Amino acid sequence: MDIIVCVKSVPITTGAELIPDKTRKDVILDNIPFDINEWDEYALEEAIRLKERFGGNVTVISVSSRDIDEAILKCLAKGADRAIKIVDKLVAEYDAYTIAKILYTVIKSMKYDLILCGAQAGDDGYALVGVMLASLLRIPYVTFVKRLELINGSLRTVRELEEGFEEIVEVELPALLTVQTGINEPRYASIMAIRKARQKEIITLDLKSINFAESNFDGWIEIQEFFTPERRKKCIMLQGDLNEITTKVVEILRQKGILR
Amino acid sequence: MRKTVHGGHRNDVTGLFDKEELKILKSLNFNFCLQCGKCTASCPVFLRTELNPRTLVRKTLYFVSQLKICPPLSISEISSVWACTTCSNCVIYCPRDVKPMDIILAFRTILIERGNVPSTISEALENIYKFGNPFGISSLKRAEWAQDLSVKKASEESEVDLLYFVGCLTSYDNRAQNIARSMVIILKNIGVNFSILAEDENCCGNEVYSLGERGLFEVVAEKNVKRSRQYKISKIITTCSHCFNTLKNRYKLENIEVQHSTQFLSDLIDKAEINFSKRIAKKIAFHDPCYLGKHNNIFEEPRKILENIPGVTLLELERSRKNSLCCGGGGGRTWYEVTGEISRPSEDRIKEAIDMGAEILAVACPFCLLELEDAVKRMGYENKLQVLDIVEVICRSLGGL
Repeated sequence: MDIIVCVKSVPITTGAELIPDKTRKDVILDNIPFDINEWDEYALEEAIRLKERFGGNVTVISVSSRDIDEAILKCLAKGADRAIKIVDKLVAEYDAYTIAKILYTVIKSMKYDLILCGAQAGDDGYALVGVMLASLLRIPYVTFVKRLELINGSLRTVRELEEGFEEIVEVELPALLTVQTGINEPRYASIMAIRKARQKEIITLDLKSINFAESNFDGWIEIQEFFTPERRKKCIMLQGDLNEITTKVVEILRQKGILR
Repeated sequence: MRKTVHGGHRNDVTGLFDKEELKILKSLNFNFCLQCGKCTASCPVFLRTELNPRTLVRKTLYFVSQLKICPPLSISEISSVWACTTCSNCVIYCPRDVKPMDIILAFRTILIERGNVPSTISEALENIYKFGNPFGISSLKRAEWAQDLSVKKASEESEVDLLYFVGCLTSYDNRAQNIARSMVIILKNIGVNFSILAEDENCCGNEVYSLGERGLFEVVAEKNVKRSRQYKISKIITTCSHCFNTLKNRYKLENIEVQHSTQFLSDLIDKAEINFSKRIAKKIAFHDPCYLGKHNNIFEEPRKILENIPGVTLLELERSRKNSLCCGGGGGRTWYEVTGEISRPSEDRIKEAIDMGAEILAVACPFCLLELEDAVKRMGYENKLQVLDIVEVICRSLGGL
């Protein structure tokens, strides 16, 4: 089974203080490390496990405006067979639709049985690229997959719905799945394995080399502004002994109309 | 060919290990094992977990010896190595110099290279690589504990005579930060000129090494060695026994002296440069941290410090010095709970201290501090026993904090 996994390198912003840049159309990402998008890690692990069970090849494809070697090498270290990276500064300016079209341009001539994407990206969270790519390739897709099983050449997938509901969807191959976190436990890529991964095949492309015409840059989404929402709730630490604090609490509750 | 832990196929030569893995095991010398069982008897997690050093050594012999005298290991037996706290008891008590701990670390390396790592350990290792600390917190926040203490940064000095290497746990954990604050107050009280690396400090890698991630250890060590050259550092002191062990024994720091805080402060007592102004009228027992005592033979200095603090009655725990009971927090166990583990060794340690009437259990390591303090809370002894780092005790006797 030949599997393509679409991977995005995203900033790891947990605990970081995000500040909009001068244009307010982007955020300052200096000193913030980048890594494989969390959802894509699960998609990659699922692809490697399918390969280990049924044979075939796993190809990782990534589109980025910045250097993504570290993320690509990590994918190869985990067990992907080869990687295709499309790096072009212009990519930063465009939305999910354009990214899907770039991926489509590269993938349309490739041989594959299955395409796996993360259900969404940890940075912008649109959850669009996977479904748009499947539509462009005219192949069936299933989103938010939390379990999958290969039965007689077709896939039986379980989708995660709201409030604990699950939906079973069967799909013929070739197909595209967007994968939810928790579907598996991604393996660790050691530094030694990452170093060895440099020996694997990495194909470097840019928009020019794939003949991605300027007329294709017709994104649907334009970011107007990044801003930190005003805090509506605030925490007040009350000082004093038990009587003083109790009096203050009663006062606050009266002011808010909770106590009369 | 055989299936891997993930279900794939590997070029296997033994039924379990491939050529590279076998090479790692064959590089270790354990043919002299008598199977006396001293390693297992002295292991603090044996009987609590599946880990049994003696069996591990015996069954590993199957793969490296011509004599197939015992059944080979299973994957689940190998996975028991994650329970090891790297206290080194098994190495100390072995009469044949076999070093079972090295075999455990070799198995960890094999599992790491296969990608078969418990998720919490994997997360800690990835955080160390990405953020320079196991918690995944920005390095810009590394010196937040020092904000109100006006501590000099190495990057602002032309040369650094004395560097206080703070360590990850002491930098980021709210409770352990008090060790760093106490150390700074002591150094300022004595009038010592020192700096910290602040956001330039990277994880020392002691836990990375003991978890078997050799490649990542090289990466973190290289970063710290580079910094030490860049800032022209002459001497490093640490309050963390894990940082001390790795900076002293595993780094190639040319012409840089590395001391643990207990050695540094003990020397100052000898020179009469510390004047304790406040009595601490308490019975204090000292818990020997494994990476200070068993790994580095530092037993006298912490005891000398405590004996010099006015009012202190120093108690000797039943299991002390080379026979000290591990707190259970080393070897990556801070990030890994063993399923079905009956109890932590720290609880036995607390009982020992309570039984002998100690009011303070002094440690010299943030890992021991957090492990033992957690045990005190779990056991409900908060009103009976206080766990303090030795620098916190000193700081109190100097009138600070």
